[in-house]
Order: sequence, then C-alpha cells, then structure tokens
Amino acid sequence: MHDTVLTTLPASVSAGRRRWSAMRWLATAFFGGALVFAAVALLLGDVFFLRLATEALIFGGLALSVDLLLGRTGLLPLGQALFFGLGAYVSALVLKEWSASFWVALGVTLVASAAVGLVGGVIAIRAKGVYFALISFGLAQVVSKVVYNTRELGASDGIIGVPGAVILPGLTSASPAGFFLVVLAFIGAVYFGLRYLMDTPLGRLLDAMRANEHRVAFLGFDPWRYKLVAFVLAAAIAGGSGALYPMLRGFVSPELMFFQVSGNAVINVIVGGTGTLIGPLYGTALLTGLRSVVGSFTAHHHIVIGVLFVVVVILMPRGLVGYGAPALQRWLDARRAAREVA
Amino acid sequence: MQRTLTLASAAFALSALASAAMAQTGPIRIGVVTPLTGTYAGIGQQVKWGLDLAVRQINAGGGIAGRQVELIYEDEEANPAVAVQKAEKLFQVSKVDFLTGTVNSGATLAVGQVAERNNRLIATTVSFADSITADKCSPNVFRVNARAGMQSAALADWMAATKPNANVFYLGPDYEMGRSTVAAFKSAAEAKGAKSVGEVFAPLDNKDYSPFFGQMRSARPAVIYTSVAGNDTVRLFTQMAEFGLNRSVQVVGASGTVTSQNLPAIGKAADGFVTGVGYATGIDTPENKKFVADFQAANKAAPDLYGADSYGVLFFYKAAVEKAKSTDTDKVREAMRGLQWNTPQGLKTMRAGDHQAMQEMYAMRVNGGKFEIVGCVKADAAIGPDTCTRF
Amino acid sequence: MSATLEWLQFVLAPQMINGLSIGVAVVLMALGLTIIFGLLDVINMAHGEFYAIGAYLAVLLLGLGLSFWAALVLAPLIMAVLGYVTERGLVQRVFHSRDRHTLTLLLTFGLAVVLEDLLKIAFGANPVRVQSPITGATEMVGLFFPNYRLFVMLFGGALIAAVWLLVFRTSLGALVRAAAFDRQMSASLGVPVARVYAGTFAFGAALAATAGVLLAPIYSVFPTMGRDFVLIAFSVVIIGGMGSIKGAVLAGLLLTQVQSLSSLFISPVWSDPLLFGIMVLVLMWRPQGLFGKLGHA
Repeated sequence: MHDTVLTTLPASVSAGRRRWSAMRWLATAFFGGALVFAAVALLLGDVFFLRLATEALIFGGLALSVDLLLGRTGLLPLGQALFFGLGAYVSALVLKEWSASFWVALGVTLVASAAVGLVGGVIAIRAKGVYFALISFGLAQVVSKVVYNTRELGASDGIIGVPGAVILPGLTSASPAGFFLVVLAFIGAVYFGLRYLMDTPLGRLLDAMRANEHRVAFLGFDPWRYKLVAFVLAAAIAGGSGALYPMLRGFVSPELMFFQVSGNAVINVIVGGTGTLIGPLYGTALLTGLRSVVGSFTAHHHIVIGVLFVVVVILMPRGLVGYGAPALQRWLDARRAAREVA
Repeated sequence: MQRTLTLASAAFALSALASAAMAQTGPIRIGVVTPLTGTYAGIGQQVKWGLDLAVRQINAGGGIAGRQVELIYEDEEANPAVAVQKAEKLFQVSKVDFLTGTVNSGATLAVGQVAERNNRLIATTVSFADSITADKCSPNVFRVNARAGMQSAALADWMAATKPNANVFYLGPDYEMGRSTVAAFKSAAEAKGAKSVGEVFAPLDNKDYSPFFGQMRSARPAVIYTSVAGNDTVRLFTQMAEFGLNRSVQVVGASGTVTSQNLPAIGKAADGFVTGVGYATGIDTPENKKFVADFQAANKAAPDLYGADSYGVLFFYKAAVEKAKSTDTDKVREAMRGLQWNTPQGLKTMRAGDHQAMQEMYAMRVNGGKFEIVGCVKADAAIGPDTCTRF
Repeated sequence: MSATLEWLQFVLAPQMINGLSIGVAVVLMALGLTIIFGLLDVINMAHGEFYAIGAYLAVLLLGLGLSFWAALVLAPLIMAVLGYVTERGLVQRVFHSRDRHTLTLLLTFGLAVVLEDLLKIAFGANPVRVQSPITGATEMVGLFFPNYRLFVMLFGGALIAAVWLLVFRTSLGALVRAAAFDRQMSASLGVPVARVYAGTFAFGAALAATAGVLLAPIYSVFPTMGRDFVLIAFSVVIIGGMGSIKGAVLAGLLLTQVQSLSSLFISPVWSDPLLFGIMVLVLMWRPQGLFGKLGHA
C-alpha cells in the first residue's frame, strides 16, 4: 500500500526542525487559544460554554485515538466508541461506588481500557483494511447491546448520580473553568505524547507500515505486534477520554457506545485532517460547535453535517489542516527566505 | 487596561440588573428539550403540538400571571448526552424558568440532575419508567403523565373483569423497559387471578416475529400481552394477522404499543387491542371534546397521550406559578406539591410525596382506527404506594 | 419417538421454513452488496438506504394508484437510474485515488446519513403500511404460512437464479466479469469500463430496491429501516466472500438457518452476536471468505 491521499503527511510534520514549523504554530494556536477562551469565559462567569468546550475536548481525545489508528497506522476504526463508552462506564462506577478521586478513576480506566484493547486487538488486528473496519463496527454493536440490556449497569437508562471527581483538595470536576483546564492538560499531554511517539522508532515503524506493510515484514519486523501496540494505545486514549465524560456530566448512558459516536469521531478526524493529530482536535472543536449551533436553528442538522462530510471527502480528503498546514508552511518559508535575503 | 476592565464589569453588572428586572416582568421562558429527530421524532412531534396549542391558548387568555409565555425548543435526538447539553444551554444561556419535553427515561433522569445543579424545575410528560418518581426521584423533577404501574393497574383490572383467570402469554422487546413493563403487568395480573403460560423476549428492532409464533400457538393463551412499541408493533401485529394468530386471542399491551403514530400503519390488525392509558380521544367530557377539536384543527392530526399530557403540563405550571405568585423555584415547587389542575382527561392531583400526578386511568380499545374507552379505575386505586425516600 | 417426530414437524420444520423466507430477503440484499464490491471494490455503506428508498418508492407509486406489481417493476428501475447517477457523480470522483477503499467507505457512509435524513423529511418519521398484494394463508407442517411469504420465497429464489444466469451465462455478464478481472485489458479491448462500472452499481442498487419492495408488506416502511440489514448483509458477504455470488447465496441461506434454529435453544437476543462471532472467526481463519472474488469465481 503506497502513500495515499489521506495519509500523505506534509514534510514539515516529520521534519524536526528547530525553527517553528507550521504544525507547531497550529498546535500553539490551538492550546493557546483554548487558554484565552478559558480566561474570557471565567471573567464572564460563564458555565455553559466552558462545559461545551470541555465536552468538545473530551471528544477530541476520542478523535485523537481514531487518528492514531487511521492516520498513523492505516486502520479505519468504525467502533472506537466502544472504548470511549467503556471508559465512561468504568469511571462512573469507580467514582460512584469506590473513590471520588480523579486520579483513581482515571488510572483504573486506563488500565481497564488497555486490557480490553488487548483482547479486542487480538481479535481485530488480523483483518486488514475494510475488514478491520467492519469488525470494529460489529464489536461496538455487540458490546453496546449487551450493556444496553444489563440491569446492573442501569440498562437503557444508564447511571446517574455520579459525584464530581476530586482532582486536588478544593478542585473538583464540578468547577467549569477548573475542569476545563484539567481536561485541556490531559488532551495536551496526549497530543504532545503522540507527537513525541511519532519521532521514536515505534513511530517510524508505524509510518513505514502504512507505506508498505509487506516490506516491513521483510526487514525483520513483525507488523502485527506493532499494530497491536498502536491499537492498545488508541484504546487507552479513547478510554481515558471517556473517563472524563461522567466527571463532567454526572451520568453515563449506553448511547455513548453507539455508532453515532464512532461515526462522528471519524467525521471529525477527516474534516480536521487525517494523520496530522492537531487536525482532529480542530475538527472536533469546529464540528461540536457547528452541531450545537445548527441544531438550534433546524431539525435537519444531520443533513448539514452529512453533506459537509461528503463534500470534504470528495474535494478535500486531506482535511482542513491537511491542506492548511502545507499552505502555512509555504508562507512561513517564503517569509523566512525574504528575511534572510534582506 | 484598567478602563477596559471597569467598562466590562460595569456593562456586565448593568446587564445582570437588567435581566433580573426583566425576570419579573418580561415573558416567562419555558425550555423544551425533546427529540425532533431520530427514532422518537414522532413522539416529539406530538409533544410540540400539545405545547404549542397550550401556549397559544394561555397567551390569548393573558398569559401566566399577566406575563406572556415563550417556548424555546432544542432537539435532544433521543440521546441523553445531547439532552443534557441542550438543557444546560437552555438554563444557562436562554435562562429559562422551567423545562419540559424529555421523552426517554434516561434523558429525563440526566436532565433532572442538570436541573438540580441549576436550581430549576422540570416536568416530564412522556417518560413512564416507574423509577423517575420512585427510587430515582428528585426534588426538581415532576411527572404529569401516568407511570407504568398505573397503566398496568387499569389494564389488569379490565382483564380480570372481562376474562377472569385467563391464560396469558407475554411477548416483549428485550431491553430493560420492555422487560420491566412485562414484569409489572404480570404481577398486577397474577394478583387478580391470571395465569402465565409463557414468556418470550425478542430483540429490539426485531424484523421478523414468526420464529416465536410456534411457541405462542402451542401455549394456547386466551390473552397475549406485549410491550413492543413503534415500528416493532407494526411488524408484530401485521405478522400476527398474516399468520392468523390474533383471531381467537385477546391482545393487550402497554400504553406505548399502539399510538396515533403507528396506528395508520397497523390498520385493521390493531382492532380489538386493549391497553391501559391515562388519556384517550374517546374520553367523553366537554373539555376533551374541545381539546380534540382544537388539536385536530391546528395540526390535522388527532392527539395521543403524549400530545394531551404535554398540553396539560403548561396549565399545571400556570396554576403553580399563579398560586405561588412568583416563578422562584422553591416557591413554585411548594405550590406544585398537592396541586390540582384541570386537564382534558379531568382533574389531576400532584402527589407531594413523590411528584407523581394522580389521575383516573382508562382501559382503551382500538376499533376501526379509533380509540374507545372500555374501563376505568379511580386515581388512588391506580397510583400505587409512594416509594420515594429522597424528600 | 413420536415426541421427536412431533418436535421435528411442529417446531423444527416451521422454524426452518421461516428461516428460509428470511434467508431469501437477506440473500437479495447481500447479492447487490457483493456484486458492487466484487466489481467496483466499493464498500457500499449506503446499501441499506437503497433498500429503504426502494420501499418508499413503492409507497409513492402505490399512493399514485399503481398496483403492487407495477411498483415491483418500476421501483427497481427508478433506483437503477439513481444508482447510476450516484456512481458517476459521486463514487467516480474518489475512485482514482489510491485510498479508494477508505474513501468510498467514508463517502457511502456520509451518503447513508444524508439519505436517511432525506427520507425522514420527505415521508415523516412514522411508519407506513404497504398492503400485501396476496392475502390468505396455507397450512403447512401444522402452521399457517401466509401466501405472500411463500410468494416472496419463490420470487426471490427465481430472481437469484436469474442474476446467476445473467452474470455467468450471458455476454453482458462476461463483459462485467472481464472488467472486474482486469480493468486495463478490458478497456483496451473496447469494453466501456466506466459505463460498465456505473451500470453494475445501478444493478446492485436495483437489487436492494427490489428487496425493499418485496419486504415492505412484511416488515413495514419507516425512515430508519435501512439499518435493519446492514450488519447481517455485511456479515453474509464477508463470510461468503466479497465478490462471490455463490458465497452470498450459500452463506445467506446457511446463516439465516443458523439464526432461526439457534433461537430455539438460546435467547433470540444472542442471534445477531452469534452471526457476528461467526464472521470474526471466518475472518481470522480464512480472510477471503468461503468462496473468493467475482472476477475469479
């Protein structure tokens, strides 16, 4: 499988140059912008927009996990909501029944998600391409149906009454601005962790596997093992993000595992820019806001998002950042060149 | 910088004052979080029709305590995660005084939590899971429609009267709601002498019920009880008619099984079906006749229980606010407890102990595309015990 | 001994016949899907919506006063035109990219979302009834079987046989198989490949629409009905082998029998997960499915 439209990365992504690349600017703009937003919202005493933005970040984490698989490992996951929802349920149960500590809930969820990811990965990784997508889809369907019917997990009503998670003495997830910053830190850690990972030998191997899996095998590496590592990592990221949801909203329901969540995550990644890691974050933020706004104006918001998605797939398959970053890079290079000449 | 801050805080303070002043004289804003898209869109449509009709009539009559009423709709897509987000938007950004419209129980429970966080009240007009006013009750959640236990009571009563000690076969969709509805009716029926001869649960959204017909036929029931709803009912009933299973058997079911949304699609196969409900278009009172006529004229469709209960909830709120002489949450809550108000189905009383409305329950039969009343149970006999311990 | 015979006659046999009538429906859906994949290499996630559109077209045509039989002929034809236009207008645009598999999957997925909402806007959210054109029931093995269902089984079976004949015994079918086997070569031999592709897509869509019309009286018509068959149709296609007609037919019939009979022994809720589990096992053990691709079958 050669370099493809979706997964061709701008050269600036893999170049570890010392001067600020377009990607670094974009990442700074995102996180910096988020901080500015938090400050303004705090000043205005807002609650709703902070919580909406926190929710967008949480789903951004899910998008990152999808991008790790789709953009960096070459696997299309249509059921990643399985891990997200599972993480949400585990976290809710821990917070409600065991300990209201943020760290305990998050820790237990990460371990549990990785474990389930290992099992799921062993089943799913063998399949390639579209078969993987369908197995991922089917797994999510089956498990969500089981959860939907399990009375101990609240069945179709889900679990309500999840208390706020205690992060530090005096800071719980009930605080809109405080929790927003905590989630931003978590997503930032995931994002920069993944960026770093892509520069390590593991990351290089994933790039190589995406370019030509057979050749990697001939070079002496077992692609299956590395794909499994990526799958487990993605599961942990999705589960960890899911763990944050009940902390924000105080409840979980089986709908968090449904196909709609997986589908939305894939849409967010494609629109934002597959493989760019920062693109999915932008995509999620943009589309979450869009869905909220459009939804207030018309009952037909599904069509609007659907048509937007189809247009992006046909006309701009590399997504916003996929085209925006190289353009920005060219502009930066031109400016640098002009400055050096002058 | 200093000046910008001062200006900003001054502007903020002014607007806060202004909105506080507005709060007591401007329109009363009521938020509606209801599924306008998705599987329950049909129910959401009835909710909207009922609310719109009530608002028009209330505003024409001078509003609530002299203030006009404004409805603000948000689509919850039958997903509690979306419902919670939209509810918070309505409370925080649109600053609504009251909220209603949630359909599935998961959404009602989750939005109830949001209401508690924002110190506002909500009422549901559709969700019938007993838990909402029982073990999961909330001081900020009220229910004006009948709950599952009340519906079972009316139906079990009718069945004991017309088919004493009958053999009953149960068929339900295999999820929590489907199973608990069957269980609730089973205990109510067995308490009155019915015998259970079989039970089967099909997956939700099941296409084909014919694999179960062999079992049903061999059990030779006199009555078949089902808790399927929506499209599942259309499939079950038309397939039962196809296979000739409904000819010698009385089919009964939950209140959501046959409604005006799926009745046209079921057609003749629904004739003879009986259920226990809190509302039927056939209720013979002048108020109901006027309500049905108004509803029909405005929407070219007949009201069902969701439309009727949604219509009634605004009058409930109106009565409470006028009794409390304020829209302040604590005062209105106090006024709501024990409140009695008029609805198309008669007088309802809001039980203070668990925020569940009490009303007369009816056994209703489908006949030629119309609903007719065949039985009635008094409010206190139907409601069941107060098991809410939170307040 | 007589208890076993009774069980065979009154429990097993009806269950098998039921499974057969469901099986014919599933095979019709899977056939279109596997043909589209076998030739075009396109995973059509909008296939369920084509099925739904077929059913709604029947509703429209019946509403205009046409008979059910006219609708059975016209609806697939209309859907074929829509399918042709979709392939030329949308699918072709992402076709030449190296990422074809993923992009077409995503494209058809987006299309499915849009189509489902369009159906809801056009026809409303509530279910619609389509009257069965054949009424009455025949007694067989102790149970009454509706005549319409027997008709569906026979008609569906005949249709499947006709498709087989078309693909494997006519020159048109040979053209299609050639284009699947080697696109460049066929093009250089004068086969109008682009039109063949679009035509095949249209044909697959028409098959789905036919299933929609046939099943409308049995399963009723509502906007989310496209989701009914997605998982099971894909499972059948994968197990049978993407692109294999023989595989789709055999896997479809076999799996629906497994589902139908399993509901006698385990709770019906597990029948979909069971099917899915079988699909996963097949993928792990023999990823190309039981019977291989269209071009090579």
